[in-house]
Amino acid sequence: MLKQLLGLLVLLLGMQLVQAQDKLTISGYVKDAQNGEALIGATVFIPSLNEGVSTNDYGFYALTLPRGTYKLEFSYVSYQKFERTVTLDNVNQKLNIEMKEEALELETVEVSSVRKDENVRGIEMSVNKIEMRTIQKMPALLGEVDVIRSIQLLPGVTTVGEGATGFNVRGGNIDQNLVLLDEAPVFNSSHLFGFFSVFNPDAVKDVKLIKGGIPAEYGGRLSSILDVRMKEGNSKKLEVNGGVGTIFSRLSIEAPIVKDKGSIIVAARRSYIDVLAKPFLKGDLKNARFYFYDLTAKANYRIDDKNTVFLSSYFGRDVFGAQFGFDWGNTTASARWNHVFNDKMFLNTTVFFSNYDYRLQSDLLKPNPQDAFRWKSNIKNYSFKPDFTYYINTRNKLSFGGQMIYYSFQPGTADAISGGEKRTIGTPAKYALENALYIGNEQKVTPNLTLQYGIRYSLYQYLGPGKGYTFGPQTGERREPLTTTIYNSGEKIAQYGNWEPRFSANIGLGKTSSLKFSYNRMAQYLHLLSNTAAASPLDIWTPSSNNLKPQLSDQLALGYFQNLKDNTYEASVELYYKKLQNQIDYIPNADLLLNPLIEGDLLYGKGRAYGAEFYIKKNKGKLNGWLSYTLSRTERFVNGVNNDKWFPSRFDKTHVLNLVAIYDATKRLSFSMNFTFGTGTPATYPNGKFVWQGFALPNNSNNQRNGYRIPNYHRIDLAATLKQKKKIFGKGEGEWVFSVYNTYNRRNAYSVYVQQNATDPTKTEAVRFAVFGSIIPAVTYNFKF
Amino acid sequence: MKTPYILNFLVLSMLAISACTDVIDVKTNQPTETQLSIDAWITDESKPQTIKLTLTQPYFDQGPTIPAKGGSVFVVSQDSIPYEFKDLKNDGTYVWQPATVGDKILTIGKQYLLYVKYEGEEYISISKVNRVPAVDSINYYKEELPFKPADNKRQVGYQADFYGRDFVGMNDCYWIRAYRNDTLFNKPSQISVAYDAGFSAGGAADGLLFILPLRASISPELYGAKDKVRVEVYSIPVEAFYFLQLVRQESSNGGIFATIPSNIPSNIQNRNTKSTKKPLGFFAVSAVSKLETVINPNKAIPKPPNR
Repeated sequence: MLKQLLGLLVLLLGMQLVQAQDKLTISGYVKDAQNGEALIGATVFIPSLNEGVSTNDYGFYALTLPRGTYKLEFSYVSYQKFERTVTLDNVNQKLNIEMKEEALELETVEVSSVRKDENVRGIEMSVNKIEMRTIQKMPALLGEVDVIRSIQLLPGVTTVGEGATGFNVRGGNIDQNLVLLDEAPVFNSSHLFGFFSVFNPDAVKDVKLIKGGIPAEYGGRLSSILDVRMKEGNSKKLEVNGGVGTIFSRLSIEAPIVKDKGSIIVAARRSYIDVLAKPFLKGDLKNARFYFYDLTAKANYRIDDKNTVFLSSYFGRDVFGAQFGFDWGNTTASARWNHVFNDKMFLNTTVFFSNYDYRLQSDLLKPNPQDAFRWKSNIKNYSFKPDFTYYINTRNKLSFGGQMIYYSFQPGTADAISGGEKRTIGTPAKYALENALYIGNEQKVTPNLTLQYGIRYSLYQYLGPGKGYTFGPQTGERREPLTTTIYNSGEKIAQYGNWEPRFSANIGLGKTSSLKFSYNRMAQYLHLLSNTAAASPLDIWTPSSNNLKPQLSDQLALGYFQNLKDNTYEASVELYYKKLQNQIDYIPNADLLLNPLIEGDLLYGKGRAYGAEFYIKKNKGKLNGWLSYTLSRTERFVNGVNNDKWFPSRFDKTHVLNLVAIYDATKRLSFSMNFTFGTGTPATYPNGKFVWQGFALPNNSNNQRNGYRIPNYHRIDLAATLKQKKKIFGKGEGEWVFSVYNTYNRRNAYSVYVQQNATDPTKTEAVRFAVFGSIIPAVTYNFKF
Repeated sequence: MKTPYILNFLVLSMLAISACTDVIDVKTNQPTETQLSIDAWITDESKPQTIKLTLTQPYFDQGPTIPAKGGSVFVVSQDSIPYEFKDLKNDGTYVWQPATVGDKILTIGKQYLLYVKYEGEEYISISKVNRVPAVDSINYYKEELPFKPADNKRQVGYQADFYGRDFVGMNDCYWIRAYRNDTLFNKPSQISVAYDAGFSAGGAADGLLFILPLRASISPELYGAKDKVRVEVYSIPVEAFYFLQLVRQESSNGGIFATIPSNIPSNIQNRNTKSTKKPLGFFAVSAVSKLETVINPNKAIPKPPNR
């Protein structure tokens, strides 16, 4: 199969070489004039042909046209439109463009943004982009601008509860999101158990969430792709950004390496509550460590017009503990090489390394040879990923490429030392290889019909050394292995291959509206094992095995897109249906940590999710923002659970309403507000109790799962940003951000659970647990020079 | 090692300022019928042994526990010797009394059958008495906690640890029970169970001295001078280890890292497998070793490093 696909790729490559040169190509990069950042998704349009292309993730575009003279319009949201006339006579043309940002003119309603009808015209559906400038203006918890918390306000995105790590997209688990930072996956996107995400807002350029109609170039997760692109750094002049918030203090430095040819950005954040608290701590807590930090760095260098290289790296860590300590973190490093072949084929090759690890240790401060517990776990992966884009002509854009990922899992090993004697326990290392090849084309069939179609083939191998276990049928209880087979290094323990077709269509319905449709199948070979309400940093990523089958999803989506009032408003309604296979559940009291026979504690089932998303976004004027409403359901079916009937998943929310409003009152002052409402998440309550050894213990005689709901969730957050009048150091800018989270002080339930009364064990009660039981005000100061 | 305990502790300490819990009203459906609950934990001690039979009631019903009276209860050894438990006070508490000094039911290494007949249904379960290691010693040192604990517990007092060693050979499980002045620390959160000398299966700590957190678990709070400390180590079957773990977990399963609530499965079956009457509770047999001491400030050891 793989060979056939490879053959096809070679054929296509060959085709373009023999193609007659009766057409010529205009290509180049589109950048920001002020800082040299590549502009992603800028439009290059030829009015005379009514055709155009968008720049790719590296700001590159290519247009292959018959000989002639053309007027080209370059446009990008909130940048000044740029026009250039180009004559194609006998050679291909290079045209690198620098675009200027539109000054925010508050008195006029019109804020420039051309190709305003991308919402309607583009092939993409189920995709949300939030500009960093919007994220930075939205009210944030404790004033800390946060990418993940912001996307939780988009339609189709929910969370188990505030403070929970990750996010759920269209009814998928949190491990079904591929979170990419400059093409390298991030396995745990949170600091402080989920309260803050690992992305430093000062270093992020662009955030895109793809919930459906996923193109063939992406794979490996079922529900979404969160594509976070880092800034390249100012290639014109030195730029320093920073801030002091409630939690973090931040500093980032951007500078050209060689003016207009290369630049570097280094951004760092660290929490500083430990520094402030230190004088107040005494005794054992004096040496307590509790902090988290991250360091993001990136460099790029344009060797020549055809070659650019990028190096990106992220390193972040959370450290908690006094004597007993716990620390975890991600490391990613990626190197990319952009190469342009004969002006119309673009290649990006990525090589990346990503690591997530944690450590728990009972003798963190001073090693104790007598009594200690030291536990380590990690997942490492190495990948090679070439992606080609071939701009055949203005009507066809072909993408093809592949990816190879090698995984090494260390699910957990621990040294238990007691009385000076040591035992080492845990789960042996696991290895896997995931390969994929894909090809896809975006084709403008007629002015009113655009198609994107493609296919991806993924091949996964679970490799030795290791043990393969077999288990009896699933009963809902712990299963002991029936047989154990030992495999040598490099031997295949299990192998899976999956064809993943992808298809999207855009049918234009006049100038301002369109109908879109998409189908995609996704395969996922890694699973995050977590049986707690919110995933914890201790949760283990586990590879598919002979027992743990790859997760599969099929999603159909249908959408109606319309722009209103001269593209002032973008509106859409989308319906989706998603079928999930090989979903994981857990036996009661599942032992997921340091358990070599973990597969015996897992249950396998299926899932389905469906819903309708209504979205309206205002792009222009003093007041902008969006309103979204999602009506949805997500359910699971697992033999041995809920009497073998469908049940709503832990993060199912029937109604979700989000409102984000940003009001630029004057050039110096802006206000913003979030309002969010969500149906209470499902809960399981006992109907009866029994007494045993004096404990009143809950019992659910009908074995129902998630039959109840906790109270509805709603919250308003407010923020005001005031820019300083006075320039700092004569040229810099400063701003104050005042924010209030949970403005009307609602004790939103995170969960409701039952327990016996602490003082009178014969009494039983239901307890509401609220993560934030009060209003949370915060002040942040940001500066830039 | 159970995730929630570690994490909830850390998160709660981080969020102490903001997070909150309060008791609310929840409407739940009533169970359609009551179930029999059997609390049968027998030890190899020569003393009266009790088995309690009660009936389930709606979760939020705050009335007194309903005893299951008029049943017949036997424990039968693998040598077919029956021991009858009688409801002497007609309150659902069925008691076996030693006939002579030193008389006891259990012998290490043997299996025992529980037989309960109640309202025409017969319930049975089998459990084996496992070996139990001796409690070698108890020591204590003076401790001052950095913060004043809740509920008027001592901030300054004595942290007691016990010493004992797991047998070589995997899958020995124990229930460590601590008493202060003859009162058992009996909150679900104070249940301390060991798998070999550690927290979990998989040969974690086979044959070791009980690991430090287990040794220290006999001090859920600090002791005062002249307090009597008693430690009992029960040998328990593996399924009892998981049962007790689940009892602790389900007794208060809240917070960010709460696990999916689940029923606590019983190891007692209705003899008629087709009957809809399923019992709750647990039957287990334990050998017990114990040691006690009185806190004498003069005998306190210096606070060990790393504590």
